[in-house]
Amino acid sequence: MRLVSALRAVLTGLFGRARVEWEMDDEIRAHIRERAEDLRHAGVAGEEAERQARIEFGGVEKCKEECREALVVSWLDHLWRDLRFGLRMSIKSPAFTAAAVLALALGIGADTAMYSIVNGALTWDLGLDNRDRIVIVRSTNKRHDQDWTVSYPDFRDFRRQVKSLAGLAAYRFVPANLSDQSALPERYYCVEMSANGFSVVQHKPLFGRDFIAADEQPGAAPVVMLGYHVWRNRYAEDPGIVGKTLRLDEVPRVVIGVMPPGRRFPEETDLWVPLVPDAASEKRDNRELMLFGRLGDGVKLAKAQSEVEGLAARLAAQYPDTNRDVTANVRPIEEITGVYFMKPLFLALFVAVGFVLLIACADVANMLLGRAAERAREISIRVAIGAGKVAILRQVLLESVVLSVAGGFLGLLVAIGGLRWFDRAMGTQVKPIWLHLTLDRNALFYLGAISIGTGLLFGLAPALRLLKTDVSGALKDGGSGVTGSKFGLRAARALVGFQMALCVVLLAGAGLMIRSAVRLYGTPIGVNTTNVLTMRVNLPEAKYNSPESWLAFHENLGKRFEGLPGVEMAGAASQLPLGNWIPFAVEFEGKNNDAAQRPEVGGLVVSNNYFDLMQVEARQGRLFLAADGQAGPPVAVVNETLREKFWPGEPALGKRLRLVEANALPGPWLLVVGVVPDILQNFREHLKHDPLVYLPFAEEPERQMFLLARTAVPPATLTDAFRREVQRMDANLAVYDVRTLEDRLAESRLTVSLFGTMCTVFACVATVLAAIGLYAVILQAVSQRTQEIGLRIALGATRGDIVRLVFWQGIRPLAPGLAIGLLLALGATRVLRSLLTGVSPSDPVVFVGTVVVLLIAVAIGCAVPTRRAMRVDPLVALRYE
Amino acid sequence: MGEPAQLLPGTLDLLILKAVSLGPLHGYGVLLRIEQISRGALSIEQGALYPALFRLVRQGFLKASWGTSANNRRAKFYELTAAGRKRLRAETDGWKRLVEAIASVLGAETEEA
Repeated sequence: MRLVSALRAVLTGLFGRARVEWEMDDEIRAHIRERAEDLRHAGVAGEEAERQARIEFGGVEKCKEECREALVVSWLDHLWRDLRFGLRMSIKSPAFTAAAVLALALGIGADTAMYSIVNGALTWDLGLDNRDRIVIVRSTNKRHDQDWTVSYPDFRDFRRQVKSLAGLAAYRFVPANLSDQSALPERYYCVEMSANGFSVVQHKPLFGRDFIAADEQPGAAPVVMLGYHVWRNRYAEDPGIVGKTLRLDEVPRVVIGVMPPGRRFPEETDLWVPLVPDAASEKRDNRELMLFGRLGDGVKLAKAQSEVEGLAARLAAQYPDTNRDVTANVRPIEEITGVYFMKPLFLALFVAVGFVLLIACADVANMLLGRAAERAREISIRVAIGAGKVAILRQVLLESVVLSVAGGFLGLLVAIGGLRWFDRAMGTQVKPIWLHLTLDRNALFYLGAISIGTGLLFGLAPALRLLKTDVSGALKDGGSGVTGSKFGLRAARALVGFQMALCVVLLAGAGLMIRSAVRLYGTPIGVNTTNVLTMRVNLPEAKYNSPESWLAFHENLGKRFEGLPGVEMAGAASQLPLGNWIPFAVEFEGKNNDAAQRPEVGGLVVSNNYFDLMQVEARQGRLFLAADGQAGPPVAVVNETLREKFWPGEPALGKRLRLVEANALPGPWLLVVGVVPDILQNFREHLKHDPLVYLPFAEEPERQMFLLARTAVPPATLTDAFRREVQRMDANLAVYDVRTLEDRLAESRLTVSLFGTMCTVFACVATVLAAIGLYAVILQAVSQRTQEIGLRIALGATRGDIVRLVFWQGIRPLAPGLAIGLLLALGATRVLRSLLTGVSPSDPVVFVGTVVVLLIAVAIGCAVPTRRAMRVDPLVALRYE
Repeated sequence: MGEPAQLLPGTLDLLILKAVSLGPLHGYGVLLRIEQISRGALSIEQGALYPALFRLVRQGFLKASWGTSANNRRAKFYELTAAGRKRLRAETDGWKRLVEAIASVLGAETEEA
């Protein structure tokens, strides 16, 4: 049966190679021998008969090759043969193979890691089907220019009145301890959500029931909805889970249902409980909720935006005490994560790592080209005895793919390591919960695809070179494998030029990031940031309804804090360094103040001991005293920038100014009693010096303040003590956002440092790879021209001449590469603009530095081969054949 | 006898099948038999013989086995399989039809007798 014999042929092909070869050999030899015997019987002499028989038969090798072809069942067999050949070749030259595999591993691994990161950061699965209809609604405080979350009463009003949204729901995160009989208590991400939450995003429970309006009424029986994985992992898919009770943060709750797998909106939720308003959340200025909604059919985002703005304005008019400066905005759901805005940066990094991979490929291509030169003879022989060019091509490409796949395997380790590093570098504070940096199935597919892809790509180089091999030329004696070398050398040079261009772009990018980071970290903030703990409290309106009450609260709290062991000083401020300010217009006494064109300054309200706490000394005059704001004329302290800007060359002390809030009457005249050095407050441009006015807390009390404390011991150890003091003063107050000042500042710089490090790593790896590539090419050129060099030396060329010959020969292809690279870099670095502080994307210093670094790398790459060329002994070279 | 005719491509397989159908042969034997039967009119390119044999084996029309040749040497013998016999019949019929068709075209006389 045909199938059986075909199968047998396959098996023989796979496993019986050697035997088949031997048999074939035997058979042909037997044939020739018999023919020779027949000839002898016919009268031809013994040896002549053998010879004639052989000639009659024709090309034995060719015949064998064709027999092999005839045996092959499919291209699979071809592949297998070429694969084994390729592996043998690779094992024969271990150094070469190791270098190539290593370079590829670096490139492929880094590329895959970056792909994972970009994928994870930009395409996180919300589990939403109708993503483009879902929006988030936020409050914005116009005064502080910061986005806020929304209060429950505001939410209720929005939900009732909004028409352009098919539904509006609110939620907040409450990480909670789940305990019950089934297992040890575990901590889960729990979300308090308004009852309509699931219907807004159109998710239905797998079984059980959805939340109903009754669930979110005060006094309703507490219920909980489980996420699928919780049901599976903790309750082993118990079918009777609905109706069971479990304890969430000490509150017994009845399970009402389980969500389908993959439904974890918003943000990797494990459990949902209804959002029930309590006394605290009924305060209109207690803003803790995040809102999401679904656009009505056919409604555009802009329409929803203007409607919501209008609603917010109405609330501001109705409740001026709490909502005066509050507006609202509607944004697409992707912006729920701040990472979304960094999309161009992530993509830029992805391109950068792609460059590294390309450079690695070019390196390997060059290496293979060099080796192809050596194998020209072998290949020519194969062609001569009948191997088709296609077969040769296939084999060369397969060899390349073998290398790249090996690089891919090693690259897997590189990718894992890279992801782990990135994960750790992000830190737990900054990393969003939904960001999973692991090599998932997509990443593995990607790894496989680029492993094979790069092999095919750089395999083209030697393949093309071999195709151009002049067979007869290579077989002639004295064949130094030079045939096809013109293409080879030109190709090699082009590749190196290409590498250099890419390197320039990477170096420029890295240089800019480094310069920016140096500026950023090198510039002092203006305060002593060590051992300062910061936190926030919201004083609810009902209880603290007068400036005096705020004052009293903060004074008492300050004293309590200072009473704690380990605390040196406690104070407060409306904003922290790098945390922006309250914008004001300003008028100066004695100057022409045009009401329509008042200059702007930033205002900050601080406790009287703020500057002492921050260890800032006055440049002129004095700092705040305890009495300021409560007795005597209203005072203010200004910073150097303000003084320079508005009173250049004049003493500022004793001058008066007054602040004018938008749509309000000017405030009282403030007497300038001191000038302090600049403390950086600008959170968008970290290095910008802005004119600032500091007011004592007693003069202009604010309800929302940051609390600060300078500690003698590491601040984190006192966190609980602080919380307890606040609880003692008022048990219902929430203390939140507790962090050290250093951590806050580090976080604001995190993006720069993270991206900067990655850019630098890429640029370094790329430059090293490019230098290695250049080294290989020049080395090859030198060995090819050894005879010529020897001749030149014999004819009187000096060492200098030789150096010039080799060196310039090597540099020449770089000039266009360099030029193209610089042009590319000028365009490409614009993308980094948002990360660069104090450095322009076309900073000349950086670009000059890039060229210098590259030239140094080139010089190093050329050094060894050039030295070799210098040392060529003309006698040896000329004799070498 | 005149110049040995050139083999049309594709006919080598047919000839080999026919030669082997008359009794198992080794490679050289197939060559001899074809020359014998055609009385020297057909010359087979020796290098093309073995690839054809291997191909026919792979396709399942021939079966190969090792045995001893006439002069007591170890040789690989080929014989027809059932499929091979069917194939030979089919190919022979096709060939005959082809030959008749061409012959009638070539034998057509011009209008003027």
